[in-house]
Amino acid sequence: MEERASVAHLYQQFGPVVYRRCLVLLRDSEAARDATQEIFRKLLHDQEKLAARDTVLPWIYRVATNHCLNERRNQRRRGEEELEPDLPLSEEAPRDLFPERQLAQQVLSRFDAQTQAVAVGVFVDGMEHEEVAAALGISRRTVARKLDRFVENARKFLLRSTE
Amino acid sequence: MSCPSDLKLEAHLLDGERSAATPHVASCDRCQARLARMQQQGEHFRRYVYPATLEALENPPRLWQGWRWLGLSAPVAALAAAAVVLSVRTGPADDYTGTKGGALRLDVYASLGAGARALGDHAAVPASASLRFRVQPSSPCHLAIISVDELGQVSRLFPLSGEAVGTSVKSRQALPGGAVLDGRAGPERIYAVCTAAPLPLARIEDSARSAVGAGAAAVREAGALRGLPKGSLQTTLLLEKTP
Repeated sequence: MEERASVAHLYQQFGPVVYRRCLVLLRDSEAARDATQEIFRKLLHDQEKLAARDTVLPWIYRVATNHCLNERRNQRRRGEEELEPDLPLSEEAPRDLFPERQLAQQVLSRFDAQTQAVAVGVFVDGMEHEEVAAALGISRRTVARKLDRFVENARKFLLRSTE
Repeated sequence: MSCPSDLKLEAHLLDGERSAATPHVASCDRCQARLARMQQQGEHFRRYVYPATLEALENPPRLWQGWRWLGLSAPVAALAAAAVVLSVRTGPADDYTGTKGGALRLDVYASLGAGARALGDHAAVPASASLRFRVQPSSPCHLAIISVDELGQVSRLFPLSGEAVGTSVKSRQALPGGAVLDGRAGPERIYAVCTAAPLPLARIEDSARSAVGAGAAAVREAGALRGLPKGSLQTTLLLEKTP
């Protein structure tokens, strides 16, 4: 009984965080609702982390981001009706770094999960490298390296697709 | 100062007093609009999503759930020692990634009224049975066990938490915890994968989705997982869940 109350409390507190993250990445309220439930089930496996006030948000962000990007990949792979392909780009995303930002969304799925999470963190969420690093649990150097590789390969892909 | 990320605004919503974004938000119309939209989405969650999904979280209806079988571990061990334990080990497929000479053995036990029973490939098992696992790798490796059902849904059986396969197994051992079947009749394919280095669980789950697809026939006929790192060990077992 006590455990059920604890689950309800945690879900009420952090469920909106997960749901909003899913809405951003899945662009579909039904898909976001299902994903929120699945993600929260994963989060509940580690209630100690849910209780860690200073680190809980980056952790939730990481788990939810990975899950939703995975879901987008699987939808395409299964050939189901695709989710809205365009992720909303952040106003804070560096425009000069990557002028083809809009097209970059189309090549996201060609990269590994962590690179996708880095690219989404910078271009969609408008996060600074340091913040992406903290949220994903990787070094700032890794963020920069993966972002460089993403930009370079996205450019190559876009170049090929316009030839 | 540039506008804070969504993550920082989430922190602001959770605890405005400790939020570093507070001074910026107070003087930024755009961020106030973002916050208003986020609050609206939060309200939608509380009114519609929360009531519709809470029960499933409190009482998972179909997914496997972590299950402590500590009280039964001794009887199971005794039974395993006394009985002929049926081990499941599939033959290598064309795309098998196991090391030459290496193997991963997976024993699955079901708790059935009178006691525990070792399950073989294609074994019929009550749809709500509780399971435990024992593994034996030919060399130390990092273990994950997942399952896929006819809806194409992948469930994580071991480890139950974490994003990567981090639990190292060295020798024959019973795994802590266990799983409870979802209560839905139909085939469920279990995969055990052991890799030389920790691997994101999502990668194994993706591989399982690709290997199995959806539909009962696909689950029954599915073969080895592709795309695992060289040297990975794997084995699979099919269960037929009966009403």
